[in-house]
Amino acid sequence: MQTRPESLLLNRRGLFSDAGGGFAGLALSQLLHRDAAEAGESHNHLHHPPKARRIIQLFMTGGASPMDTFDYKPELERLHGQMLGPKEKPDGFTAPAGAIMKSPFKFAQYGETGRWVSSVFPEQAKMIDEMAFLMAMTTKTNVHGPGTYMMNTGFLLPGFPCMGAWISYALGNLADNLPTFVVLPDAKGLPYNQRGCFSSGFLPAVHQGTVINATASQPVPDLFAQPAHQFAHQAGDAAGFSLLNRINQRHADAHPGDSRLDARIASYELAAKMQLSAPEAFDLSRESQSVQTSYGIGNPATEEFGRRCLLATRLVERGVRFVQVWSGPQGATDNWDNHNNIEKDLPPMAMSVDLPVTALLRDLKSRGLDKDTLVIWTTEFGRTPFAQGSVGRDHNGGSFVTWLWGAGIKSGATLGRSDDWGYQAVEKKTWCYDLHATILHLMGIDHERLTVRQNGIDRRLTDVHGHVIHEVLT
Amino acid sequence: MKGGLTLDSRSGWQQGGESGPPIIPGKPHESLLISALRHDGLQMPPAPKEKLSDDTISDFVKWIEEGANDPRTTAPVAAQISADTWSLRPLVRPPLPSNLPADSSETRSPRSASQNPIDVFVEAGHRMAGIDAVPEADARTLIRRVYADLHGLPPTPQETDEFLALIAASNKTLTEHSQPQQPADLKSAQEKIADEIWGRLVDQLLSSPRFGERWARHWLDTIHFADSHGYEHDIGRDNAWRFRDYVIQSMNNDTPWDRFIREQLAADYFFPDQTNLIPALGFLGAGTFDFSTYSTAVDTFDYLDRDDLVTQTMAAFTSTTANCARCHAHKFDPITQEDYYALQAVFSGITKGDLPFDANPATGIERQRWQMVLTAAEQRDSDVLFRPEYDAQISNWISGRSQQSSWEPLQLETFHSTDGATLSRIADGAILAGGTRPDKDTYLISGTLKQSSLTAIRLDVLAHESLPMQGPGRQDNGNLHLSEITLTVFSPDSMTPEVVKFKTASADFDQSGWGSERAIDGDVSTAWGIHPAVGKSHHAVFVTEKALTLPPGTHLSVGLKQLHGGGHLIGAFRVSASSAPPETLMAVPEAVETALDIPDEQRTIEQKTEIAAWVMKRSATEALAAMPVADYVYAAGPSVEIPVGNGKRQLRSLKVPKVVHVLTRGDFGKPEQPVTPGALSVLGHLPPRFQMQDGQPESARRAALADWLAHPDNILTWRSVVNRVWHYHFGRGISDTPSDLGKMGGQPSHPELLDWLAVWFRDEAKGSLKQLHRLILTSRTWRRSSIYNAAAATADAENRLLWRFNRYRLDADCVRDFTMAVSGTLDLTMGGPGVQHFSQGPGRQVTPVLDYTGYNWNQPGATRRSIYRFVWRGMADPFMDALDFPDLGMLSPTRSFSASSLQALTLFNNDFVLSHSALMASRLRKYSEVPEQQIRMAIRQVWNRDATDVELAELSEYVQMHGLEQLCRVLLNSNEFLFVD
Repeated sequence: MQTRPESLLLNRRGLFSDAGGGFAGLALSQLLHRDAAEAGESHNHLHHPPKARRIIQLFMTGGASPMDTFDYKPELERLHGQMLGPKEKPDGFTAPAGAIMKSPFKFAQYGETGRWVSSVFPEQAKMIDEMAFLMAMTTKTNVHGPGTYMMNTGFLLPGFPCMGAWISYALGNLADNLPTFVVLPDAKGLPYNQRGCFSSGFLPAVHQGTVINATASQPVPDLFAQPAHQFAHQAGDAAGFSLLNRINQRHADAHPGDSRLDARIASYELAAKMQLSAPEAFDLSRESQSVQTSYGIGNPATEEFGRRCLLATRLVERGVRFVQVWSGPQGATDNWDNHNNIEKDLPPMAMSVDLPVTALLRDLKSRGLDKDTLVIWTTEFGRTPFAQGSVGRDHNGGSFVTWLWGAGIKSGATLGRSDDWGYQAVEKKTWCYDLHATILHLMGIDHERLTVRQNGIDRRLTDVHGHVIHEVLT
Repeated sequence: MKGGLTLDSRSGWQQGGESGPPIIPGKPHESLLISALRHDGLQMPPAPKEKLSDDTISDFVKWIEEGANDPRTTAPVAAQISADTWSLRPLVRPPLPSNLPADSSETRSPRSASQNPIDVFVEAGHRMAGIDAVPEADARTLIRRVYADLHGLPPTPQETDEFLALIAASNKTLTEHSQPQQPADLKSAQEKIADEIWGRLVDQLLSSPRFGERWARHWLDTIHFADSHGYEHDIGRDNAWRFRDYVIQSMNNDTPWDRFIREQLAADYFFPDQTNLIPALGFLGAGTFDFSTYSTAVDTFDYLDRDDLVTQTMAAFTSTTANCARCHAHKFDPITQEDYYALQAVFSGITKGDLPFDANPATGIERQRWQMVLTAAEQRDSDVLFRPEYDAQISNWISGRSQQSSWEPLQLETFHSTDGATLSRIADGAILAGGTRPDKDTYLISGTLKQSSLTAIRLDVLAHESLPMQGPGRQDNGNLHLSEITLTVFSPDSMTPEVVKFKTASADFDQSGWGSERAIDGDVSTAWGIHPAVGKSHHAVFVTEKALTLPPGTHLSVGLKQLHGGGHLIGAFRVSASSAPPETLMAVPEAVETALDIPDEQRTIEQKTEIAAWVMKRSATEALAAMPVADYVYAAGPSVEIPVGNGKRQLRSLKVPKVVHVLTRGDFGKPEQPVTPGALSVLGHLPPRFQMQDGQPESARRAALADWLAHPDNILTWRSVVNRVWHYHFGRGISDTPSDLGKMGGQPSHPELLDWLAVWFRDEAKGSLKQLHRLILTSRTWRRSSIYNAAAATADAENRLLWRFNRYRLDADCVRDFTMAVSGTLDLTMGGPGVQHFSQGPGRQVTPVLDYTGYNWNQPGATRRSIYRFVWRGMADPFMDALDFPDLGMLSPTRSFSASSLQALTLFNNDFVLSHSALMASRLRKYSEVPEQQIRMAIRQVWNRDATDVELAELSEYVQMHGLEQLCRVLLNSNEFLFVD
C-alpha cells in the first residue's frame, strides 16, 4: 500500500489519458499512495525534506480590513476627513473613493515583538509573538470572485485547481480512512464562486475539496445510504461490499494489465474504512467539555466558527492533509466585506473568529501537532483607507495582511510594509504566488517543478511567478 | 514575461525589463542574467527546469566580459519557427504505406481487396515495431462497444440477441449452401458478410437520434458550454439549451463541418433567411460570464471575456492555444501577439446575452421584412417606400384621411388640478395652467358632447406665451410628461360610470423613448413627452377599444395624470372628441399634415415620401406587434437582451465594435497600436487580416473568421477535427491533446494517417462526420479486442500503436444513462429546457442555492438523458462530479479518470443509484417471478452476457439473504458494468 510512482512530482501528462495502456500503474498508486514518512521511509520522492505535513487555512471571506486589525496607520488619524483619494473610481471599486478614514478602533502594542493589534483581536494579541506576518500582500483585482479565485488557485479565472487540490495531487493522503482535502464552509453559506474555490480544475476529481457541512446528518456526502432506501441498511453494506469485491476481483483476473480495475476495487475497501472512521472523527462530543469551551463552543458569538476549528484539529490529527475553514459566506452581510460601517460590522466578525483561532493554535500545540502543522490566516484582499459612504470601506487589492503559524514558521517574523495609508504595498510585496510557493516549499515541494500540462501549457499553482518567502521561515 | 524582458534579440535585452537591462556588456557580475542563470535570486519564466551547467554559465560570463556581442538584431519572426511544428506542415494526402503484404498476392490477407486505409496505416506500424496485434473482439463485445460509442447507451438484450442471431444465421447459410471449398475461402466469405452486417448496424446507429445526443456532449465539453455564468454571480441561463438542441440536431443532420463552423460563428451573416439557425450562435455564449467584473471593472472584463472566446474558438476549431500569445508572442508556436489581438477584434462587437429569433423561418422572414420597412420609413428610404407592393396601402390611407370629420371640443363643465395649480379657461375651449407648479399633478376635466357616439379623444397641448420656452409644458425646458390619460363615461342610462379603455395612441410628435402609447399602457412610470420640439403646439389621439354611444345627457370625465415629477406638467391644452372611423383619426406629424393638405399632383417627392414613411411606419409597427413572441437563445451579438426579473428584459447593445489594442505584456493599462480583425499569420496562404469594408455589419467580422477557419486550405482545421473524432473513438487522439496540436501538445502517433484522414474527410467525405465515424468504426483497428498481450505491451506499453482497443470507464453521462436504461426508466423525450436535478432556493446574492439531495427520481422528466441536464457551472451535481464530469469553467477536450473512496461511496450510496436499484428490481419482478430468471435477466442487462453457473449460484444466495435491490446496487457498481471492453 506504500507504492508511489517514481515520477509523481514530475510532469504527469499521461495521467490524463483515459485510455489505459501507458497509464497503467498510475491509477492505483494515485489512489493508494500515502506519505512515505508514515512508514518511516525517506523523503526522496519529494523535492526536499518537508517541514510541514498538514495545513489548516483560515479564510476570511469578503476582504478583512488591514488598517482596522493588524496594519496600524497613525497617518490616517492625522488626515482623517480629507479628500485625498483617487478622483476617478478605480476599476473594481464599487463606489468613488470618499475621504480618508481613520480606524475607529484602538491599537496597542503586544508581546515582545511589540506588534500593533487593534482592539478587535484581543485574543490573537496574546499570541502575537508566535505568528509570522506578511504585511504587504497584494493582488491583481478588486473584485471578490476573481480575488477569491486568485488566493485559492493563483488565477483570476475559473477552471484551475486550488492549492488543496495541488497538494492532494502531489502528496496524497496521510490516512486512507478520511478525505485528503476537507473544506469547512461557513454555516451561513458558501464563499464567493460557490465551490469554484475548492475545485480540482483540470486535475482528476479525486483531488477536489470534500465539502463538509458540519451540521449535516452525514458529515461526508453519501457516507451511508439515505434512510428512505430501506433495503440499503448498513448491516447489508458489508455483504454488498464483499460480493462486489468478489465480482470485481474475478473480472480483474480475467482482464489483466489494467490497474484502473484494481484501483476501483481498492476504492471500495477504502470507502468501507471511511464509513468506520468518519463518524468518530466528526463527533465533537468526544472532546472534553473544557476543550469545547476553550474553542468558544457554548457561546453563540463564537460557537459556529469554534466548532469548525475544533473539527479541523480533529481532522488533521487523524490524517487529513489540508483543511480549509471559511469565515463568512458570500454576499453583503455576515462576512468581512464591510462596505457600510466598519465600526459596527467588523467587531462581530472579528469576535467570531478571535477566540476560536487562538484555541486552535493552543490545542494543536497541546496535541503535539504544531510540529508538522501549518496554520494560515488570510483573505482575498484588503480595504480602502478611504471611506465608502461615510463609515465603510471599499475593496482594495493594493495591500492586505496574512499571517502564518506553526511548522517551519519563524515566530514573530514580519515581512513587508504598506504605505502610510495602508493603500498600497510598498516594501517586500508578496503575492499569492509567493504565499503558495512558500506553503508548497514547507510541504517539501518545489513550486516550479509541480506541473501539469493542460491545453498547451505546463500549469503550476504559481503560474510563472512565485518566490519562497524565506524571511518568515525557520 | 511578467517582467517584460525578452532575450531573443539584442534589442530585447538592451531594452531590458522591469528589473532593468539584464546584461551590462563587460560587467558580468553586475548583469542580472548571470545571477538568474545561477538561480541566485531572480527567476526567469518560463523557468528552465534545470539549472544550466557551470561551464555554460561561465561561457555567458565570458561572453558578457567580451562585450556581449549579439548579432540577432531583431526578434525572430514567429513564422520562422513553423517548419518544425508538425501540424503546420503542408497538408497533402500521403500514399498508403507501400511495403504491404497486400502488394504480394501470396500473402494477401482475405480482406485486402477492400482494406480500410486506417488498417493499412496502423498495421504498417505494427510491422515496423514487430508487434502482433490482438484479434478482433467478439460480436457481443463489439455491439456493446459500438452502442456505447455512438449512442452512449447499452444495447438491450434483444438487440444483442438479434445481432448475434443475424451473424450466426449468415454463417450457417454459407456453410450449408457453399460447395466444398478451401476453409480460407469460407472464412473470407463469412468475414465479408459479417462486415456487411456490421456496416448495416453502424449505419443504423448513426441514423438514430440517440447518436446526436451522445456526440453533442463531446462538443459541449470541448467548448465549455454550460447553463449558467460561473464565477461569483453564477446566474442561470434559461435559454442556453437551444444551442444544445442545435448541436444535437446538427450531429443528427450530419451538417458538414465547414458549414457547422459558419453557422456557429455567423449564422446571422451567412444564412439570414434561416432564422431557425440563430441558436447556432449559442457557440459565442457558451463560456463563462464574470458578472461581477462586468459590473465594476469593465475594461478588464472586455479583454478577459473576449480572451475566453478567442481561446475557445481557436482551441475548438484549430487546436491551437492562441491565448498563450496574450502577453507575448507564443513561446512555442508561431503565433504573434498581434495575431491574438486581431482575433479579439473579431469579437469586439458582440456581448453575451439572449438573442431573439424565430424558430419558424417564415415568421422570421416576415419579421425581417417589416423591420426593414420600419427602418426604411425611419430613414425616409424612398426606394423601399415607393415599391409598388405598398402603393395601394398608402393611397387607401390617404383617401380615408380626406374624409375625416372634424373634432368636436368637449363642452367644459368642470376642470381642476389635484395638486394646487390654477386652471383657467382661455380661447376656443382651451385651458391654461398657472399659479403653483407642483412636482406632479393630475387634471380632471368633465364636460359633454353634442355628438351621439365617440371613437377617439384628442388632446391638444398648446404653445402659450405665458409658459416656459412658450410651452406647451410647464417644465423649465417647455416639456411635459403625460403618464396616463383616463376617460370615464357617466351615462344617464346607467348607475355606474364606465371606465373606457384605449386601444391605440398616436401623436404628431413623440419624444424619443417617450411615445404617446406610453400614456395608455397602464404604467404610470412611463409617459408621453415632446422634448425637444418645444415652443409649438402638439396633439395626441387616443382611440377607444370600441365605439361608444353617448345618449343625450351623457357626461364625460377625462383625467390627465402627470406623475413623472420634476414639474413636467401640461401648460395649456384642449380636449376634443370624434365619432369618425378610428383609422382616419390618427395624429400625424406636422410635415405629413402639411403634405396631406396639398393636392396629390402638387406634392413634392419629399412630401410624398413623408406620407409614405408615415403610413408604412404605422403598418410595420402594427404588423410587428401582431407577430408571435420571439424565442430566445443565450448567445452573443451586437445587441442582446438580458432578463432582469418579472419577465422584463433589458437591452445590452454595442453600436459599433470596440477598438482592440495590442496590450503591452497583456496589461490592460498599457494599450499599444489598435488592430483590425484577423487570425493567425502563420498560414501564409490564408490572409491573416480580414478586409473589412465601411458599413459592413458587425457579423462580417465573425463571418470572415468563419471563412478563414472553414477554408479548405486551413490545414489546422481539418487536422483538428479528425483527430478530435479519433480521440472519442479510441479514448486517445492520434495526437493525445485534441485541443492543442502545437509544439506543447502530444506528438502524433500516426502523422500520415492523421493527414490521410484530414484530406479524405475534407475532399471525399465533404466534411461529413457520419462518414468519418463509419470509416473508423468499420476498421479492423477499432474492432480489435481490448485483451492484454504481454509481448505487445513490452514493446508498446501505452498502446500508441493500437495493437489493442483501449478499454475505458464510462464517463459520468454514460454511467447515468446506462443506469436508467437497465432500470427501464430511461425517458427518450428530446429537446427543450434543461432538467434541473436539484431544488433551487434564494441565495445570499443573485446566485441561488442548489440542493441536489432529496430529488424525486419519479417525477416527470427526471430520467431523461444526461445531455438534457441543466448544468450549473459553479455548482456541480455531486454524482456527476464524482465520476469526473468536467469543471466547465475551462475547456474540456478530454475527460479524466479517477478512482477514490469518495467516488466509491457516491456510486454505492447516492440517491440516484439506490433509487434506480429499486426501480430495476421492480422491473425484474415484472419480468419474472422466478428469482433465477430475474438474476439471469439482470446480468444480461448489466453485463450484456449470460450469467455463468457459478455466478448464478452465488448471486441467488445473495438475493435470498439481502434482496434483489441489493443485488442491483452491487451490479451497478461493478467494473464489468462501468467499463467498456
